[in-house]
Amino acid sequence: MIKVLERDRGWLRRRGDGRRTSLREVGSTYVHPRDAVISVQRLSKRYGEVIAVDDLTFSIRAGTITGFLGPNGAGKTTTLRLLLGLAEPTGGEALVLGRRYRDLDQAARRAGAVLESRDFDPGRSGADHLRVLALAAELPPSRVNEVLELVELAAKDASRRVKTYSLGMRQRLGLAAALLGDPELLVLDEPSNGLDPAGVHWLRSFLRSFAAGGRTVLVSSHVLAEVAQAVDHVMIIDRGRLVADARLDELTSDGQTLEEVYLCLTARRES
Amino acid sequence: MSNALRAELLKQRSTRTVRSLFGAMVGLVLFVVLLHGFGLKAEDLESASKQLTIVFGWGEVLGALFAALLGALSITGEIRHGTIRPTFLVTPQRRRVVAAKVWASMLIGTGFGLVAGAIAAGVGTAVLGARGIDVRLDAGDYALLIAGSAAAAALWAAIGVGLGAVVRNQVPTLIGICAWLLFVENLLVGDIAGVGDVGRLLPGAAGKAITGQDPNTLLGPMVGLVLLALYAAAVSVGGSLAISSRDVD
Repeated sequence: MIKVLERDRGWLRRRGDGRRTSLREVGSTYVHPRDAVISVQRLSKRYGEVIAVDDLTFSIRAGTITGFLGPNGAGKTTTLRLLLGLAEPTGGEALVLGRRYRDLDQAARRAGAVLESRDFDPGRSGADHLRVLALAAELPPSRVNEVLELVELAAKDASRRVKTYSLGMRQRLGLAAALLGDPELLVLDEPSNGLDPAGVHWLRSFLRSFAAGGRTVLVSSHVLAEVAQAVDHVMIIDRGRLVADARLDELTSDGQTLEEVYLCLTARRES
Repeated sequence: MSNALRAELLKQRSTRTVRSLFGAMVGLVLFVVLLHGFGLKAEDLESASKQLTIVFGWGEVLGALFAALLGALSITGEIRHGTIRPTFLVTPQRRRVVAAKVWASMLIGTGFGLVAGAIAAGVGTAVLGARGIDVRLDAGDYALLIAGSAAAAALWAAIGVGLGAVVRNQVPTLIGICAWLLFVENLLVGDIAGVGDVGRLLPGAAGKAITGQDPNTLLGPMVGLVLLALYAAAVSVGGSLAISSRDVD
């Protein structure tokens, strides 16, 4: 079902004929909170005068890969930080598996996330980075080698200090850390930055097999071509507000590419 | 030992930061004790009080300073490098993280204080002996000197963690600690009339008091210990509250 939020409908109609979209308002993607891995209700975040996230409501169902799209500064990262308990919302709430992230017991077994590709101490080895997190998460030390294998990071590379890593290796190490607790939910912010084409291909097949086991992925990106090949659900956010929340095949059902739909929905409106 | 504490100790062990700090501390203690022990006139080093303050006390001062830097780095380093994000994702109960940092830093800080105190005591004694100056310290004074250095360093490590959690920015935190311990307190506890009574209640002076230095100007060792412990508890709790209530970038 395609959902275009109320306040955007008028705008869609006002577009010129040539660019008129074929988006239809035929219902909503309502997911009962019981079935939702992520449930966000009227979430907002304000920094002084700036509204970074504006009254966001959405749910994410288990077993799906959801692409979270939007221009730079649209509020993607802020939304993910609110979801993961790193920032407190100004209003509304964000629940992961029915609870606020900060109230999760054994959070690493529930959700794993990679928010920045630079979140390492350059003087610590990749393996030690993982050992520290495994200890803190009360996971067996054997998980360190398991996740290193999973992200295909060689043991001799893992024993080197992170300052010697390429960006692609850092992305893999970040992903390995997120996977330590074998979580039900994986949240990735721009994970393909710095990956070469083979790395992007690898990441895509990894995410597919991860979700195929009934687990859930929320991945933000602005590289639309990649997203189109990997996700089955798309949310588009623009200036803190959700402007689309639909299955990918529905969003592109009238022969439009994801890029066309995206550009249409996020085009800057003259007020 | 809790997993959070073991994780914090592994963090400290797995980079060169702590080793570098330790090396710098040992070097500085040696330098300052040798300089004062050899450099000053014999008549300035005759009383037990002067020997403690001018030669042996440096173990406590530098042990406390480097332990505070160690504690502050344990949190400001994570904020600077961004590892605070994975840390809080794995342990979203932030107070638990700060508590583990306080305990881990106190544990390592104790080691710093012990070593600094022992070096100052050993080298100071050797230097004075070489110059033919009678060392006026008895076994109890030595024990108080070394144990006091360890206790002061442990508590200053906790202050460093709490301060780092409040300030968050690494460079101002470290400069603030150095300026306070090496400069500001010396002014306030020194000879300026009228401020000595207040100055001895400050945390740096309380740390010195634990080692039994200068009982005429400073507090007694036990009072100093209790006072510094109160400072450490207050700053740690303040840091814990500050880091729990603020957003992580």
